[in-house]
This record gives sequence, C-alpha cells and structure tokens, in this order.
Amino acid sequence: MTISLIALAILLVMVFARIPIAFAMAIVGGVGFALLRGWSPAGAMVGNAVFETGLNYSLSVVPLFIFMGNVLAGSGIAQGLFSAADRVFGRMRGGLAMATVLSCGGFSAVCGSSLATAATMSKVTMPSMRRFGYSDSLATGAIAAGGTLGILIPPSVVLIIFGLLTEADIGKLFLAGIIPGIVGIIGYLLAVMVAVRMNPALAPQVSEVRPMNTRDAVSVAAVLGLFVFIMAGIYGGFFTPIEAAGMGAAAALLIAFATGGMTRAALWTAFLDSATASAMIFAIIIGAEIFSNFVSFAGLPDALSSQVEDMGLSPWVVLLLIVVIYMVLGCFLESLSMILLTVPVFYPLVSDLDFGLAVLQDPDAVLIWFAIIVVVVTEISLITPPIGMNVFVLRSVLPDVSLGTIFRGVYVFWVADLIRLALIIAVPILSLYLAT
Amino acid sequence: MTRTGDRPEDLAPDMIPGRTPHRHAVWYRVLAGAAALLIVLLVAVTCVDVVGRYLFNRPFGGAYELTQILLAALVFAALPLTSADGGHVEVDLALHLLPVGAQRALGRMAAFVSAAVLAYFAYRLVLIGIDQFHEGTRSASLDIPMAPLAFLAAASCVASAIAMILRPETA
Amino acid sequence: QELIMSSWLPPKHPIVVNAFEPWAEEVEAATDGRVTVRIMGKPLGSPPAHFDMARDGIADITYGLHSFTEDDRFSRAALGQFSFLGDDAIENSKAYWSIYGGDLDAAEEHAGTHLLGLFMHGPGLLHNNVRKIETPADMQGLKIRVPGGYVADLLSALGATPLFMSSPEVYEKLSRGVIDGVAFTYEAMTAFNLVDHIKYSMAVPGGIYNTTWFFVINEDRWNSLSEEDRAAIDAISGEAFAERVGQAWNDADDTAKEEIGDKVDFYQASPEVVSALHSEATRLEQAWSDSLGDGYDGTAALAKFRDVTGVSVE
Ligand code: NA
Ligand code: NA
Repeated sequence: MTISLIALAILLVMVFARIPIAFAMAIVGGVGFALLRGWSPAGAMVGNAVFETGLNYSLSVVPLFIFMGNVLAGSGIAQGLFSAADRVFGRMRGGLAMATVLSCGGFSAVCGSSLATAATMSKVTMPSMRRFGYSDSLATGAIAAGGTLGILIPPSVVLIIFGLLTEADIGKLFLAGIIPGIVGIIGYLLAVMVAVRMNPALAPQVSEVRPMNTRDAVSVAAVLGLFVFIMAGIYGGFFTPIEAAGMGAAAALLIAFATGGMTRAALWTAFLDSATASAMIFAIIIGAEIFSNFVSFAGLPDALSSQVEDMGLSPWVVLLLIVVIYMVLGCFLESLSMILLTVPVFYPLVSDLDFGLAVLQDPDAVLIWFAIIVVVVTEISLITPPIGMNVFVLRSVLPDVSLGTIFRGVYVFWVADLIRLALIIAVPILSLYLAT
Repeated sequence: MTRTGDRPEDLAPDMIPGRTPHRHAVWYRVLAGAAALLIVLLVAVTCVDVVGRYLFNRPFGGAYELTQILLAALVFAALPLTSADGGHVEVDLALHLLPVGAQRALGRMAAFVSAAVLAYFAYRLVLIGIDQFHEGTRSASLDIPMAPLAFLAAASCVASAIAMILRPETA
Repeated sequence: QELIMSSWLPPKHPIVVNAFEPWAEEVEAATDGRVTVRIMGKPLGSPPAHFDMARDGIADITYGLHSFTEDDRFSRAALGQFSFLGDDAIENSKAYWSIYGGDLDAAEEHAGTHLLGLFMHGPGLLHNNVRKIETPADMQGLKIRVPGGYVADLLSALGATPLFMSSPEVYEKLSRGVIDGVAFTYEAMTAFNLVDHIKYSMAVPGGIYNTTWFFVINEDRWNSLSEEDRAAIDAISGEAFAERVGQAWNDADDTAKEEIGDKVDFYQASPEVVSALHSEATRLEQAWSDSLGDGYDGTAALAKFRDVTGVSVE
C-alpha cells in the first residue's frame, strides 16, 4: 500500500510539472512495475498496453459517440437547442445559464462523452452569455457542470466501460441513467437560481426575448429523434449499445445534411476534433492501463479490500467509505483512468454486500445502482480541482478564462451534485425504476 | 493572458488565424484526412453489418475484427495530430505562480519527457511487430496480418514524439 | 518464493475457484511453504496476451486458450478443438495432456515456458432460439456465434452464417436477436446469462467443438526453483491438474444443467445431422493433419484421442 501511495505522490508531482497525464501515468506505472518485476517484463507490459488498447472493440464507442456529438455541433443543432432552451428561461435572472444547463442536458442525450458535451456547448453558449454581460465564472461553471451530464444521460461511454468491466447489461445501465440525469438538470437549475440570488452581479436581467424560429424547433426535434432512434434501436433489438455508436453517427450525419446546417468546413472540424479527442482519450487509457497494472501488482486492491473486510463495517458504511475514496481520488485522477483503476477493485466488494432493501435484493440491481453512483461521483470529479477534466476542456476552448475563474463558478454546481449524490444513494429506486 | 472578449463571436478559438499554423502543414492535413476516412469506415462497417442483417439477412461476419483494426488505425493516425496540437491533458493550475522563464523551461522539459515516452512506445511496438511477423499473427476471420499495424503504430509514436518536441512553447 | 499468476477469468469462475485456487494452495503445501502463488485479482494484460505474458515474464504463471490468437504458433494444439472428441472434461483433458503433450510435442509450441497443464472443457453444444435443428437444411441461414475458425468452417459448410465476437458480447447480441445462436458449453449458458434467450440446445456425441487451454509458467522462473520444488509442483500439475480442472468443468456443467432444468429443450442431434457434420469434420481434420508437415500425424493423434475417450461416429 505504501509503495502505491508513494507512486501516486510522484505521479502528482509530474502532473503538476506539466507532463501530460497520460505519459506521467505511463512513466510511473512502467518504472514502478520494473522496480518490482524487472525491466524486461515491464517493457513487454508497456508494449502490450500500447498495442492492445487500440484493438479493444468496445472502445470503438469513444470516437463514434464523440463524432456523433461533433456532427450535431457542427450542424448548428446544438445552437438551436440552446436557443430553444433560452425561450424557457429567457425572462429570469440567470436565464441564459439555466438555458445552458438545459441544453447541455439535451445535448447529453445524443453525445456519449462529457468532454465533448462541455466543448460543444461552450462554443455555443459562451458567446451569448458574454454578450449579455454574464460573469465568466457563472457562465463557465454552468457549462462545465452541465457538460458532466454527458456521461449520465444515455448514451454514455463511461456506462459502457462500466458494463464491460463488470459484465452488467449496458442497455439497463443506459435506462438507469435517465432519471438521475433529470434530477441532475433540476439540481443545476436550482444552483443557478441560488447563485444569482446570492450575487445578482453574476447575471444581468435580460429583457430581450427573441422570437421562436423554425430552426430551433427543428433542432429540438432532431435531438429528440436521434435519442429515440438510439434507444429504440437498442431496446427494439436492432443493434447493441456498442453498435449504437456507429448507427447514431450515421443518423447524425443524415440529420445534419437534411437540415442543411452543415458546411464542409464544419464537417472537417467535426472529423478532426473527433480524431484528436479520441487519440487524447486513448493515450490516457493506455497510461491508466500501465499505471493500474503496477498498482494492482503492488497489491493495492487486495490490501484495500481486505482492510475493509477486516473492519467488519455495515454495508452502508462500506459504501460511504467507497464514495469518499472516489471523491478523494476524483480530485487527482482523470475520470476515465479513475473508472478503469477503481471499478475492478470496488465492484467485487460491493457486489458482496447486503443492503437489506427490497429493491436491492437482486445482485443485478445492486450493480446498476452502484454504476450510477460511480458515474455521479465521476461527474463530480470532472469539476473538482485540481484535475477537473471538464474545466480543462473549457480552458482549452476559452483560453482567455483562467482555471481559477472556472473553478470559482463551479462550486455552486458542485454543492448541487453532492446533494444529488446523497439522494441517489439514499433512494436507489431513482436509478432502478426504469432499469428493472 | 489576454482578454479576447471583443473578437468575432462566431469564430471558434481553434480557428483564430495564426494560432494553429501547423494545422495547415501537409503532413497534418494528410493524417487528418486519413483519420477522417477511418471514422467514415468505422461508421460504414457498423451500418453495413446492421442494415445487412435486417434487410437482407446478410450480416457482415468481419465487422467485429474490422472495427478493432480500424479503431487501432484511427487512434494511431490521430496521435501525432493530438500531440502537435498540444491536445494531451495537462495541468497548468499552479504554473502562474512561477516566473515566465521557469514556466517555459518546465514546458520544454515536459515536452522532452513526453517525447521520450513516445519513443519508447515506438521501440516496444517495433519489437511486437517483429514478433508478430515471425509468428504470422493474423486476425481470426479475415486473416489480416497484424504486424503491419504494429509498425504503423510505431511510426505514429515516432511522429508524435517529433511533434511534441517541435511544438512551439505557448506558456 | 512468490509466483505471480495473472488471471483474466472472473474471480468467481468455476475453474478459478475449483481448479486454479486449490492448485495454488497445493503448491504451497507440496513445497512446505517455500513456493507460494499469488493470483492477481485483475489481469496484467488482455486475455489474448496471456501466453506472451508468461513467456516475457510480465507474470510468472498464466493460462488461456490456444485459439485466442490466430498464428502459426499453436497449430498442433488444434487437436482438441475438433468435433466428436469426448463428453467428459476429465477424460478429454487427460487425453489432451498425454497426446498433445506427448505425440505432438506441445512443449515445443510453448517455447519459453514450462507446461503446467493442457486441458479442455466439457462438450460444446449448438444453442439457438429459432428452431430445433432436425435436418442439415434447418441450419440454413442461422446466424451463429462461433469460438474459432474450425467451427466457422464446419457450420458455414452446412449453410449457417458464422460470426465472431468476444464472449461477453454474446449476451448483448443474442438478447437483441442480432444473432440466432451460439456454439457454447452448458456452463457458458448460465455463466453468460443466456438461458432466457435460448430455446434449443443440440448435442452431438463427443461435442460439436471444444476449446483447448494452456497453463504455463515462465521458463526462467521455473528453472530458478529448486529441483525438489519443481518435482513437487510437477506432481500436482500435468495429468493431476487435468483431472482437477476436468472435474471443475464437469461440476460446472452439471450445476448449469440443474439450474436450467427444462427451460431449454436439450436434444441429441439426429443421425442425419451427425453424419452431415461428420463428413465435413473429416475433411477439415484431414486438411489440418496435412498442414502439420512431416513428423506429426494429426489423423493418428485424433484416432488415438477418440480411442481413449471412446467416441466413435460414422
Ligand atoms: Na450522453
Ligand atoms: Na477532479
């Protein structure tokens, strides 16, 4: 356990020295493995991780779900979604921030990645909020938080990866994310209201209400149509959740061309952004694989679970403990590497617990509920400093806003997330109602 | 850090003229084109498989494998692009506490460390490729040899390493 | 000395619980605690990488399927992957250990490692949810997930459409009607949660297919153990391990059959179907045997195998 903690500390130092997270994990994992096991085996292990990650069939959802979102972004549909949402909240103080949250939620229904959701919606919503004099912190906070919904509301790359790690039914996991996702949207809307009530300077009252136009209606219809297409395809038995990524991307292309909003330049950008985002994510998965091989070799998972077992705690305390560990790790780890590192450790632990609730009698139900809890803590980690991926994405899209500003704007949403997490833990039926 | 709030609002930041000259380089456009083609092929493979099996009861038996190989090819085609863009996730949270000179030095060091890691990846991929070439490793249903993929991956890592080093300092 | 074993099956898989874990404990007992085996909770690489992982020393001990990778390495291992080989996993595994391990020089195909075991599971069946296959023509158009090239050739010759995918994908595809059936064991029906999505399971004498497994330790690591310890470990490995793991597979199949009960229509293939399969199988066996080159007689090895397990099909 000590050696793992030392490694984690070194990893953090390297990360703060600006070494990309993917490569820092590869170095610490590779060198650590070599010290325990020898240089030649460590080299072979690193080589395997690099070569085989790209060949993982299930991970094909990463580029394709991102591409689907980018196509819709390029076609102006994300913009229409935002305008339509703006119609709902236009006259309220902070209305644009609330429209941002709502349109992020809508976009999440057709995008599998939180990063892509945040990146897309920032390009769409940030200019409006700036034009009307919203503070950068509230504006970016709403986008960063709203973007996290991308992995909870189906489709979701993270839920697919969770399903693969635990052999859970991905179709059920997708259904399970819907209600908690809606709860998340409501929570964020309330967070905006609270924030502007506490500090009205964050958002001016906007009196201008633009007229509804066909484009907005078409955009909303397109997003709804695509969501229904994906869900009906999966639950109607036409394709698997993994194939849904390819089918969804094809449908998105059709919609984009049919609605006529897609320029050649925008299509090119959609391809390029999807490719580079995928390579970025795969580099992280490779680094996480190398690092997690080292950590598991060093015995951290075994030590952790045997420690928990030895303490003889009640199932609820164990679960809370796990959530706390996730929150702490979530500060420092990137979201996907966190899932890859922790789920194999904690899932066996949780699946053995008896929570004494009728809805949790079925082991599958526990698994689904746990999946949603994990996704929600992961969402929280996406906006928790120092390493909050969504915040980084915003930072790269909006280079003139400082990280500090974004994190300042995020904290109200962070509080809303904590409340939602408590709710989802205390009321398992929120996650299970649609899935069972 | 400059405020650019008054720039044209419909201009995405990654399109700001002068910020991304490398995106116009020939090698970048070629690789980006290849990546775009691979995405199209990934989508097409799924569509051919799904549509084929419902409309014509003719599923595409090689879909699984082809998806795997196209995915790996896409990742390695895109890796040099991400590296040249400075697109890898890095933390610059505490950096502003340091003087500009130190920030730059740290950035250079990080680039060289990253390049070294990528070069090592390339070396291991070459070893894997040689191994697979001798063992005749191929995919199960389509008999696609795997060694070329490993060599392509190695070349991609080398290109990415070079891109990391040549990337202008933006701190 | 602690030996590291990388295990990619789920930790509660019957052969992990009933074969590998007891074997690991017995290693410790047999060597008076001088050698221990630590089974990792999470594998150190993807399943197909597991042979190379032992050879390269990433882990000391690994197991896996010979058919994981398609290459020229384990050509002779295919001995145990044909049809009509045997209905009892213990007999299968013992015959495989002795014939592939002896006549076909398995050690040479596993260079860089020391063999701890070679084994097979119980008979493979053909499950589907469309119709009972009573004549060869009933196979026409069925989309069947197959575990490897041999079964693919066999079924496509009879008009079915073979498809490849990983085992966990089978549930997604079968439950959504993307595929009609799957060539799997009894045990896999419950392990992968398929029972509700299968209606008919056709058995042929000795199984329609089987899979072959290796269980190996890194050669250098093996040689670093004392002669006494190596002898002690060898004594509980090889044939003894074939017996142990075969028992684990048999028990898993029995448990599965009990759990499934009459939710699935289990039936024996008609003579007509068996004979159609057999003539195709014979052709494929011959092609395999010819490909082995001089020095190895695949046909004779298969005959010997069936002689030991007592399966004979006309
Ligand atoms: Na989503
Ligand atoms: Na974080």
